[in-house]
Amino acid sequence: MIQKSGAKYDHSPETLNITSPELIASFHRAYIDAGADVVYTNTFGANSYKLGGSGHSVEEIVSAAVGIAKNAAGGAALVALDIGPVGMLCEPAGTMTFEQAYGFFKEQIEAGCDADLIVFETMTDLLELKAAILAAKENSDKPIIATMTFERDGRTFTGVSPAAFALTASGLGVDALGVNCSLGPDELEPVVAELTRYTDLPLVVKANAGLPDPNSNEYNILPDRFAECVEALLPYGVKIAGGCCGTTPGYISKLREMLADKRYTPSPRTADTSVCSASRVVEINAPRIIGERINPTGKKIFKQALVDNNIDYILSQALVQLKGGAELLDVNVGHPEIDEKSMMVRVVKAIQSVCDAPLQIDSTKPEVLDAGLRCYSGKPIVNSVNGEEKSLSEVLPLVKKYGAAVVGLTLDENGIPKTADGRFEIAKRIVERAEALGIDRRDVYIDCLTLTVSAEQEACRQTLEALHRVKTELGCKTVLGVSNISFGLPNRGLVNSTFLTMALEQGLDLPILNPNIEVMSGAVRAFRVLSGYDKNANDFVAAYNDAPPAQPAAKPQNGETDLSTAVYSGLKNEGAAATEKLLETEDAMAIVNEKLIPALDRVGADFENKKIFLPQLIQSANTAQACFEVIKKHLAKSGGAGVSKGKIILATVKGDIHDIGKNIVKTLLDNYGYTVIDLGRDVDPQLVVDTAVEQNITMVGLSALMTTTLKSMEDTITLIRQTKALQNPDGTSKVRVFVGGAVLTADYAMKIGADYYCRDAKESVDTAKLVFGE
Amino acid sequence: MINITHINREEALRYLGGAGEPDGRMLALLDEAEAALLKAAKPKYLYRVTDLPCDWLSQGEDIKKHLADCDRAVVLCATLGAEADRLIRVSQISDMPRAVVIDALASAMTEQVCAQVDRLLAEQMEGCYFTYRFSPGYGDYPIELQREFLRFLDASRKIGLTVTESFLLTPAKSVTAVAGISGEPVPRGRRGCAVCSLRDTCAYRRKGSHCGFQNLT
Repeated sequence: MIQKSGAKYDHSPETLNITSPELIASFHRAYIDAGADVVYTNTFGANSYKLGGSGHSVEEIVSAAVGIAKNAAGGAALVALDIGPVGMLCEPAGTMTFEQAYGFFKEQIEAGCDADLIVFETMTDLLELKAAILAAKENSDKPIIATMTFERDGRTFTGVSPAAFALTASGLGVDALGVNCSLGPDELEPVVAELTRYTDLPLVVKANAGLPDPNSNEYNILPDRFAECVEALLPYGVKIAGGCCGTTPGYISKLREMLADKRYTPSPRTADTSVCSASRVVEINAPRIIGERINPTGKKIFKQALVDNNIDYILSQALVQLKGGAELLDVNVGHPEIDEKSMMVRVVKAIQSVCDAPLQIDSTKPEVLDAGLRCYSGKPIVNSVNGEEKSLSEVLPLVKKYGAAVVGLTLDENGIPKTADGRFEIAKRIVERAEALGIDRRDVYIDCLTLTVSAEQEACRQTLEALHRVKTELGCKTVLGVSNISFGLPNRGLVNSTFLTMALEQGLDLPILNPNIEVMSGAVRAFRVLSGYDKNANDFVAAYNDAPPAQPAAKPQNGETDLSTAVYSGLKNEGAAATEKLLETEDAMAIVNEKLIPALDRVGADFENKKIFLPQLIQSANTAQACFEVIKKHLAKSGGAGVSKGKIILATVKGDIHDIGKNIVKTLLDNYGYTVIDLGRDVDPQLVVDTAVEQNITMVGLSALMTTTLKSMEDTITLIRQTKALQNPDGTSKVRVFVGGAVLTADYAMKIGADYYCRDAKESVDTAKLVFGE
Repeated sequence: MINITHINREEALRYLGGAGEPDGRMLALLDEAEAALLKAAKPKYLYRVTDLPCDWLSQGEDIKKHLADCDRAVVLCATLGAEADRLIRVSQISDMPRAVVIDALASAMTEQVCAQVDRLLAEQMEGCYFTYRFSPGYGDYPIELQREFLRFLDASRKIGLTVTESFLLTPAKSVTAVAGISGEPVPRGRRGCAVCSLRDTCAYRRKGSHCGFQNLT
């Protein structure tokens, strides 16, 4: 309407609420006269980010807009506070944090508190929508409608599926959800059908009037056809119909006519209990593996990774489990030496930035669960609640608030009941308590607990019996960690896989296991074929028939590759093998200094002289790393000194998210034998300083890609220099800072207080050698 | 519509260090990376024509020169979409060599998308003459204008293209630009190193070469 009226505005259409209130009121009246029951305020982009520079505050514009709509409606229609996306992308695609998004929405919601309901529309990012819904829930008691906008491929711009949206928004407690904008009503059927499969809520359809003609800007679906198309969607449980782009009052009056004799028919969800990330839904309608490897218990390297903030290691654990066949991942980062809460947030965010498997947030501390649940994009599983009163009263409200599923452990104040009956009773109690809070019992996954069979042989039968009863009598899904069963026995793999198969036959839905052990993930795959879940054995065949052919390796005739050749050609396995061979006759440090490093240097020189490409340099570096691993293991066995040549912090500065350059530097430094503490991208200066102080690190590398983020680089260096703990007694700085990035020059680097300017990854290594000595 | 089935490898290889002919190892990497990227990328674009002079658009001397002989300008943006970014991010964890190859291919592909938009515009506005594209950040053209470009095009709503507070485009493999339009033949404007803000640090320039930007049409 605003476009059609030709009204001129300075900054954004929302300023018309101040400059032309009568015009906006006339639009509202036109729609109400056409039969609208609800009008949206003219506040789609009225957040403090988008209004920046408009000369008006959010409070001013939003309250004016609500006032205009209320007056125009005069009680004849409801007024919805309309809120669109902030206009910046949330992490990880962008830099906006969950808390920032929450802050923008909260401000709008408070300013619009006189509206009758709150509408979030045209949303494309699930985490941003979650921030919006929570901001509404925590700062208002008005009903909430959430609609997202889907492209022709059935996804939003950021890859959110209708199913993931329906699951997440329903869980967070909106009152209705649906779709707006983007497509015409003739193309929305698949989206609406998918939404209704995953929610009991009433649906909203607010389509465009088809597509605009690029030249005339006229839309191609006329009012009669528009109403017809919407009518066809009503059986999916559509309760609220309306129009988005191009739908003038004429469209609304046709809708009104069509709806005159229609009644809303609820359409309950048909999908089984499901969990999701933003882009992937896992329906628990067949046995699904939960990967157990993201957990420090009993894992030395994992613990060290937590202490060192080595997020990449944790991420590689995530990816390798998915490759092994896990469909969900358990995430536990409990370790006494770290702040579990902030680590949980970092790890959840990081995992969600590289993989789309739904996560199971695992902690014994409610505040850690809360923090992990809050920043999670999608519908996760909480691990866990148990039959103890304290646990029930602390954990279940979190599960309800964030719309998660939950693992219920069949133990309580008195420990683990010996009998199946005892465990069943606890399961029943957990389910009753969950339902009393409004949690669907289908979202409670019961763990009947595996005990060690060598200690108590009868226990195995009790577990399986309890599991069977929970499944059939309570109608809950079941979850079970399986590998405990075999402690103290030889051939544990055999015992584990046999027990797993028995449990699956009793109705186990969610085995928690190490998917990288083939016999375990293989048992689940085979079970799915034999029980008819894996139709035509498609998944099974794909897993075993499409195994990638072995890497062709250029091996010389004698079957061995010498170390230099392996490193130069980037042949990882050959490099490791050659290193092992050399260790039989040569000193470890001699191999490093006389073979590995020179080979890497040759590769570096060839890269500089444009004889090879960057990926080849990195492949060589990775090969060298494989060789270092072999040497590290050897030294650990023989009790020799470590090979770390020094610790270095790397960070892409605050505001900057282009981190591929920093990551290349990291790969090279790693592979030259330095220990890199990678703080990631968009890093706060304080985090750099705190890490340096905590871990007593004297070399810091910073990268920035844009001229606009060089300021953050300068701020970081300044903070490092000012920090007393990082100064020598004479006040000079202990820390050597090297910087790099596309827009930096050596002069500028010196001007902002850096010690070294590194043009590329190779120069960073040269600088490290200079600082730590060869 | 945008249709890209092959990515300009020559340009991608320049970003990767330009070491002459790629060997078998590089070719295998390129093949796999190209297939993965073509699957992930969902090119989208927007454009909108505006009359000149236009105050918000003409900030700085370089753009004024660039648009001097034009009576209209087309403001445009293009992106490969969020999935391409994600592919690069994931590869950085599991396979760094693959990540840098995909990153370079994605940069090349972004330019190809823009070139297709150029052709599309030429078809739509037959008889018009265009200058080269000019982007915020070139020469003295303020990077801060990214935000105004996207607002003018309603890009965050229409194609999911946004800008961070430090003016990085997100998704990262994206472009904003403006080209002048005239009914008469116009000089296409200066491109290449003269207007490049990286000219002082550029590794290509130091070696007497260039990144290829100069040769684009």
